[in-house]
Amino acid sequence: MLTCDRYHMPTSLAEALAMWRDAPDGSRLVAGATDILPWAREGRAGNVHLPAMIDLSRVAELNGYTVAAGRIRLGANVVYQQFLTDEKLRALMPCMPYCAIWFADDQIRQQATLAGNIVNASPAADGTPPIFALNGELEIARLDDGAISHRTIAVSDFIKGPGATDLQPGEIVTAVICDTLEGYGGSFQKVGQRRSLVISSVCAVACIKLDDSTGTVTDIRLALGGISPVPLRLTETEKMLTGKQLTRDMIVEAARLPAELVASRTRREYRRTVVRGFVEAAIEDALADCGSALPNAETRETANV
Amino acid sequence: MSEQTTSEVQLDFEINGRSMTRSAKTHQRLLDFIRDDLGLTGAKEGCGAGECGTCSVFVDGKLVKSCLMPVAKANGTKIETIEGLTGWGGDLTPVQKAFHKTGASQCGYCIPGMVMAATSALRENPRADLEEIKERLGGNICRCTGYTKIFEAVELARDVLSGEANATVLDADGAGKSYIGNNVRRLDAPSKVSGRLRYAGDMVMPGMLHMQVLRSPHAHALIKSIDTSAAENLPGVACVVTADDVPGEDGFGVFVHDQPIMARDRVRYVGEAVAAVAADDALTAARAVSLIKVEYEPVAAVFDSEEAMQDGAPVVHAYAPDNIVKHIPIRKGDVEQGFADADLVVEQSYDTQAVEHAYLEPEAGLAYVDHDDVVTVISPSQNITHHRHMLAKIIDRPINKVRFIMSPVGGGFGGKEDMIYQGMLALAAMKTGSPVRLVFTREESIISTAKRHPARITYKMGLKKDGRITAVSFRMISDGGAYGLSTEGVMRKAAILSCGPYNIPNVQIDTYGVYTNNTPSGAFRTFGAMQSQFATESHMDICAEKLGLDPFEIRRINMMRDGAITHTQQTLGSVSIGRVLDAAEQASHWQAGPVGMRGPQRTDLGGDDTRPPCTLGARFRKSGDDDHQEVA
Repeated sequence: MLTCDRYHMPTSLAEALAMWRDAPDGSRLVAGATDILPWAREGRAGNVHLPAMIDLSRVAELNGYTVAAGRIRLGANVVYQQFLTDEKLRALMPCMPYCAIWFADDQIRQQATLAGNIVNASPAADGTPPIFALNGELEIARLDDGAISHRTIAVSDFIKGPGATDLQPGEIVTAVICDTLEGYGGSFQKVGQRRSLVISSVCAVACIKLDDSTGTVTDIRLALGGISPVPLRLTETEKMLTGKQLTRDMIVEAARLPAELVASRTRREYRRTVVRGFVEAAIEDALADCGSALPNAETRETANV
Repeated sequence: MSEQTTSEVQLDFEINGRSMTRSAKTHQRLLDFIRDDLGLTGAKEGCGAGECGTCSVFVDGKLVKSCLMPVAKANGTKIETIEGLTGWGGDLTPVQKAFHKTGASQCGYCIPGMVMAATSALRENPRADLEEIKERLGGNICRCTGYTKIFEAVELARDVLSGEANATVLDADGAGKSYIGNNVRRLDAPSKVSGRLRYAGDMVMPGMLHMQVLRSPHAHALIKSIDTSAAENLPGVACVVTADDVPGEDGFGVFVHDQPIMARDRVRYVGEAVAAVAADDALTAARAVSLIKVEYEPVAAVFDSEEAMQDGAPVVHAYAPDNIVKHIPIRKGDVEQGFADADLVVEQSYDTQAVEHAYLEPEAGLAYVDHDDVVTVISPSQNITHHRHMLAKIIDRPINKVRFIMSPVGGGFGGKEDMIYQGMLALAAMKTGSPVRLVFTREESIISTAKRHPARITYKMGLKKDGRITAVSFRMISDGGAYGLSTEGVMRKAAILSCGPYNIPNVQIDTYGVYTNNTPSGAFRTFGAMQSQFATESHMDICAEKLGLDPFEIRRINMMRDGAITHTQQTLGSVSIGRVLDAAEQASHWQAGPVGMRGPQRTDLGGDDTRPPCTLGARFRKSGDDDHQEVA
């Protein structure tokens, strides 16, 4: 059971930062709280008592998103369900609807934030690989002599390992900033124990942009989660496929390399097999999503999506 | 947990159309607040971890899991619970009526959450198709129905709400002359679809205390001492009970009374109850539990049933030095001769695993001693009369001073036949004079209650070339875990049904239930038949393949027919296996042939009646023709 002495709901960033600075050791920031409540149960952390919880969900500055110069700034309070229901977001981040639909369920998606998912730094997080693929950064705020200052850091530098991040005392993540990929095809693959409510054993994300006239790949983004302590961006594979007109054989060949990168301590062989299929499927589905399905592609999820 | 103050949060909110101002404890979740403080118990706690959806409520129009929402988040919101769907005292909604109509509620425990999820699905997209409905209900688990009737209900409600179907389709069908072949309305459905039905964990009594249980961290250990003084001295604690509080002859079980109310001198599995605290609230009781000091001396434990049968294995119960709970032998004909007559003898072993019942309602009970000194226990017990007799002996009271009341069972499947917590509640009620309630967490339910028996079955079958079975030797060793529970009955049933619906001239059957230091095994749907049928039917397929026979054919060759005599000497007036095989063959569009014929040659795979692979994304399907909205 999770208990706490104080539960704060600040409404401005300045208020939140001051509370966080003054909070006793062991206090926690929460957003959706969908991860911390199941964590504080028997078999995981057990009974947990916190001096204070600071709930960021009412902090006005963390709401909504803005778009500028090919980048989108997603406030830390953006919840997963928005990637399904907001048409503009769906167009700007074409892999995110597919990621969100596999994330937990409709009800938890109303509460759970993308920023919270990233900050928890679970190797099995669904949301982190897509943000790797979108060259994501985190915007982080802190108080310097009473004034709010910000820094940004690449998500790939921010996540140090399972549960470990670069977040410093007194800091609060205020936004996720990443590329907008309008006109790309996107896809997300996930293996878990069941359809809803589970974290990934393995997940893969792809975003592909094709040249309108030649059909060659002008940009491709690939990332994998669940196979190593932090997600992996498949830069070698991306290079291999950029500028090419993709064929089935080329995709099969490209999927060999990532399987070698699997470093998980458990079920490694299983994950290698899955990864090979997933990279193929992610690329094929992303092609289908931008309206250029391979004529001889294997029938996969998107056949029904 | 450390020393702590518990502060409060102030809440202004609207619930089911009423404005309220209340204070709540900071640690409460929205679920705790609406159930415990507001008395709205339609939302349930099936898991407490966001997995099951029994707690679903609307907050500002969006469905959320109230077990994952700290109550402070509800400040300033509009909350709608299952009780609010109808308005206060109003008529059932079309969704609720549709659940009633299709028989979608069985145990009913998931149903308030399901009705909420269905309502949400149709509010979000009034034209949601079946795939989208499934997806939107993905966060809610039902253990009884298999979902089909639930989805049927949501589609029916959708059609009524959209005007495509007349509201009269929700009315009861006319009763035919026979109940058989006609839909019969479930009498209890309105109470379930409305969330009005109160399960044991929903019940409250004035002055009620809350119980929490200390459980063993050891699989096998001697209890050297239990010091409850710090727990008893904690403010708010009414009593601590241990085995020492049992006034009569301790011991319960469905067949052998080998299990004490709480561990006595020795713990035999991880999760066994050692002591229990009754306090003003569950949090205080939990803190008191953490203050109980138990000195254990771990002893050798045994976790494999075959190892437990070996000489020199650790002994789990002194009365059974061979660790055998029950051995059921059955002999018919001459097995050695049968194998000698066979053209082919096939030997194979089969393992099955422990399975949790996972009813949506975790165990819960409420006990009190009434004005006439009658010790009363309310619980979802599947066996109240037996429990009553056992408890009378354990608490040393005449049978007319012990009463069991069966509360609605939120799923049982055999898992609620054992009296594993009712005794603790009775002892605490007797010791304090107050009503005492215990509600298990999901984790507690999984760790401490009976499972399906894991079994290892060694099968030997002799057959003629034409497929006729000449003999079977069937040896099943089942892990009964630390206590007997229903093991004896399960072993009997497994032996009786071991060879399936087949006529076999020579049979040798041995089933063994064995004590180990694993979680106890008990009753579970099929009661031993699942394990033996898994082995039998797998074995039939293997033998068919070896003989080059069609799997249906080998079964028809050996199946019992009307008038058959079973290996336990029962004459069967009529036998339906032939019709069952015909129906299964037709329904599966089975392509006749030996089982070895697979792959591209087969034409009967992936047909209309085959369940397609799991997909998601129905709500943003990009098909051309549709009347389907692009954005949900």
